[in-house]
Amino acid sequence: MSRINDVGGMVGFPAIVEEPDEPTFHADWEAHVLALNAALIRRGVYNLDEFRDAIERMEPATYLASSYYEKWFTAITTLLVEKGVATPEELAVPRDASGA
Amino acid sequence: MSGDHHGSSAISEQVRHVEALLEARGLVDEGELDRRIDEFLAGGSPANGARIAARAWVDPAFRDRLLADANAAIRELGLSMSGGLQEQRLKVVANTADEHNVVVCTLCSCYPIALLGPSPSWYKSEAYRSRVVRDPRGVLEEFGLELPPTTRISVWDASAESRYMVVPRRPEGTDGLSEEELAGLVTRKGLIGTAAV
Amino acid sequence: MPDRFAPGDAVRTSTADPAWHTRLPRYARGAIGRVVELAGHHPLADDRARGLPGTTQAVYHVRFTAADLFGDGDHAVTVELWEDYLEPADPQGGTP
Repeated sequence: MSRINDVGGMVGFPAIVEEPDEPTFHADWEAHVLALNAALIRRGVYNLDEFRDAIERMEPATYLASSYYEKWFTAITTLLVEKGVATPEELAVPRDASGA
Repeated sequence: MSGDHHGSSAISEQVRHVEALLEARGLVDEGELDRRIDEFLAGGSPANGARIAARAWVDPAFRDRLLADANAAIRELGLSMSGGLQEQRLKVVANTADEHNVVVCTLCSCYPIALLGPSPSWYKSEAYRSRVVRDPRGVLEEFGLELPPTTRISVWDASAESRYMVVPRRPEGTDGLSEEELAGLVTRKGLIGTAAV
Repeated sequence: MPDRFAPGDAVRTSTADPAWHTRLPRYARGAIGRVVELAGHHPLADDRARGLPGTTQAVYHVRFTAADLFGDGDHAVTVELWEDYLEPADPQGGTP
């Protein structure tokens, strides 16, 4: 079943946009997502292939609408639930802490 | 499209929450993430690739060794591909008057990070990944690189364990330059293949 | 297990469309290419992504012409493929 990440040869994507003097991370949380993933892989919570698989299983419209590190964070939380590390409820920001 | 990096405070807050949860469960040590971020930022850089390309330009025997076994050759310059969990295989391809090489990862975002540092966002975009295997000449023109019609284009899709780097062609009129000055001419895009140098 | 292919061999990629993670891109399915070189031995990514131990097997750089992949174009695309994705092919041969 071809997945949304498998885009080689597809038509319809827009012109390539280069960002001059692009920073490595566009926000602190992106760096934290990268480090979190490295830490979990090193701990053996999941492996790199399982991580890629979790990105690929994203709902296609969400995949295309997500930034690079948003995809990573989605995959991390998916795997934390599937590996039994945490429940979706535990991963959600508590309402009283959200300031909403 | 996935060009929007600018995370809202909501995702920032959720990342902090998950991080705290994992620390509490002993899966992440205090200070570990900051340490990993620092290591990542201090890791590879396009300057490494530029040094390799410049050496290949001035030393044909090094160029031969580099194209035959890149991992061994870059060790001569004190460089390696072992920034991650294990050393990755590096495959270096060199541009000639007849053939131009360009690198992509159509399935995700594989890139020689240990050597060249983080990849640019355009490299990870669906736009680049989808189009460069189908219409590389058109994509290169979009980057401002117009190749003669007689130059063949070879696209390398990093679909497994190897990581790729391109040695650009040495620019005309650089005979008098030192190796260090030559390295200063090489850009990250040149090492990916979306620029001439 | 000895490596099944050597540089210069013509190979045909699998037409399978697995339900799981795979590293044979869709655009290179069912295509004939030529082995350029061996790129080491690694456990099959499809297995590792499913939590299986994964038997270590050869991985090759396989070069395809754009015409063979897409029906047109004058460039070449080299894809790195696990042995599992490949079958022997005779590019001069007709129907198998």
